[in-house]
Amino acid sequence: MSDPTILLIEDEVQIRRLVCKALETDGYRVVESGTLGKGLLQLHGAAPQLLILDLGLPDGDGIAFIRELRSQFTLPVLVLSARSAEGEKIRALDAGADDYLTKPFATGELLARVRAQLRRNPAESATPPTHFRFGEVEVDLAQRRVTRGGAAVHLTPIEYRLLLAMLADPGKVLTYRHLLRAVWGNAHSESNHYLRIYVSHLRQKLEADPTQPEYFLTETGIGYRFQI
Amino acid sequence: MKPAQPSTTKRIAHALNKSQTKSARMTWILAPCGLVTLLVWPLRDVLDPANIAMLYLLTVAFVALRAGKQAAIISALLSTGLLDFFFIHPRLSFSVGDAQYGVTLAVMLVVALIVANLTISLQRQTAAAIERERQSQALYQLASRLAGTTSLEQVSAATRDFLYQSQSCRSMLLMRHNDTLQPVETEHSLDSELQSAAATTAMQMAQTRHMRESECHWLFLPLFGSTYVRGVLAIDLGAMPPSDVDAQQALYEAIASLVAISVERLHFVEVAQRTQLQMTDERLRSSILSALSHDIRTPLTVLYGMSEALAQQSLPQDMRDTVEAMREQTLRLNSMVSNLLDMAKLRTGDLRLNMEWQPLEEVVGASIKLLGTALAQHPVHAALPADLPLLRFDAILIERVLCNLLENAAKYAPSGSAIRIEANTDNSLAHISVCNEGSHFPSDKLDKMFELFERGDAESNIPGIGLGLAICRSIVEAHGGTIRASSNDDSACVTFTLPLGEPPVIEVESEHE
Repeated sequence: MSDPTILLIEDEVQIRRLVCKALETDGYRVVESGTLGKGLLQLHGAAPQLLILDLGLPDGDGIAFIRELRSQFTLPVLVLSARSAEGEKIRALDAGADDYLTKPFATGELLARVRAQLRRNPAESATPPTHFRFGEVEVDLAQRRVTRGGAAVHLTPIEYRLLLAMLADPGKVLTYRHLLRAVWGNAHSESNHYLRIYVSHLRQKLEADPTQPEYFLTETGIGYRFQI
Repeated sequence: MKPAQPSTTKRIAHALNKSQTKSARMTWILAPCGLVTLLVWPLRDVLDPANIAMLYLLTVAFVALRAGKQAAIISALLSTGLLDFFFIHPRLSFSVGDAQYGVTLAVMLVVALIVANLTISLQRQTAAAIERERQSQALYQLASRLAGTTSLEQVSAATRDFLYQSQSCRSMLLMRHNDTLQPVETEHSLDSELQSAAATTAMQMAQTRHMRESECHWLFLPLFGSTYVRGVLAIDLGAMPPSDVDAQQALYEAIASLVAISVERLHFVEVAQRTQLQMTDERLRSSILSALSHDIRTPLTVLYGMSEALAQQSLPQDMRDTVEAMREQTLRLNSMVSNLLDMAKLRTGDLRLNMEWQPLEEVVGASIKLLGTALAQHPVHAALPADLPLLRFDAILIERVLCNLLENAAKYAPSGSAIRIEANTDNSLAHISVCNEGSHFPSDKLDKMFELFERGDAESNIPGIGLGLAICRSIVEAHGGTIRASSNDDSACVTFTLPLGEPPVIEVESEHE
């Protein structure tokens, strides 16, 4: 399989150069663009496996771009955004972005996120796995069985649905809204604190140290991420 | 008397009563009665005495109209006498021949008195109506003059001119400055200490005050605003008699309330303008802030990335150290910029709190994870009670507080020492502490530490510009909590509180579907 192609849309030349270099050093082929318009053309032309998108582009609304893109493409989208712009991040994630990085970011972190996104992408086309293992925990979807260190763990129906919703998208940032909808359905009337309580239950049952979780990570102000 | 002066009927009547000589009034009584008698005498055999009585009644009404109540009563009595003497048989005698005419005379006297009274009260009512009309006209005039004013000076000048023209009164507008009164037009001022004292009393008591002083009669009228007395209108009534002052006080009070409305209007115009200015100001500030935050972060991101890329090259050790130092300094610069921008936002009230009920545990975990390698030298123990209720806070901001406190602890505590995060509750508050061992806060700085740009030890070589704790305080206070530092020989703690409030009730889920 040839090197994966990554499309980078970012208007700051210096940041573009930096990201390009880091990605190319890691063996990716990079197509770059300074505007959304050109980016859209390259999306069709170069068929990239991943999109890295800066949200503050001068020629349009990055969030609307993601929403439009989602109607045709399934490639993972990694968003670059400034800190203290949580609202923007949530809107981007709800529009279909998969992950975000806050500027300034470490290149090591960027590469790790890129690898994580590329890893989960092919899984979507194949038959979804029915068996998960993280730490001491094993989840068997077919038998609806969860064990920790070999001992069965009892999960309530909501806890189990929440676990499934998180396992379905490992590495992806899941907003409160997304998870509420996944667990309680479209007509959910529960508030975010319901979700927080159940995540805390999951951590207590499945994490070694619930205060410093390894798998069910908090994205403060945005949602959660299940990290294998 | 000036034409524009308060030429009220009361004043005329007053003037008539006082200044007209007795003889003049007697003329007013005698002349009409005499004239009627002379005119009717030749017709004494043609006219019925009842008709002659009518003519006398007419005369009494006339006298009442022109010469007032006393004169009317005298002319009523006189007319009855004249009728009896000249026209009732036997003529030229006061005796009454026919008992019938006794009735005529008695009725005539009573009717004459009633007519006199009615005429006079009608006249009074007319005069009062005219006076009221004149007053409302005057007030209307003042109101329309005041409506166009755009400054206190104009209000003062308009009022002063109006009172001078319509009432011949000197006046002055005094405005409240804290607890003292100052004339709006600085070229005018109260003449004496006594006057100032009376004006101040009027303001403090919120009551109209009078002060008589030789030739002057000052009236001090408080100007009521919606919340407090905004000033005092001082009017010099000159030598006006006290009875008139009482009669006119309502008018002056009405004038004062008109002035007060204008003053109040100007006050609110000013407030509105200030608010408008503030809003524009704030919008500008927040757009500058966001531009700044974007423009500074871009080169920082580039710098950080470049130093990282350099660090991955195979470099000689000393260059590697330099590159590593560059990378660290860039990170520090970034955290300073973040702190400065956050502080600016907190200070300008630009920050909206996104308050949600959530477990504290979650934000503690997120903070520890966020700091990552910065805490590598220190094991962190989070001891949170299992029954800690949900707390209501803005997760991102409280994460910032915890990060700053943890970072601080890591910065000052000797390498390898533990950092503890503790929480407990009392009746109404949750107390959250971040403690470290092996260092302590200088005891004289415990309170000042949370002020902007204050550091525990000013000469310390540990980096930071004293923003971290000030931001913590701003955030905690925005949540309705407090923050304080405590210290003993061997450890240092920063504790902040969050109100417990009433957490929402979570319905317990049934164990099976």
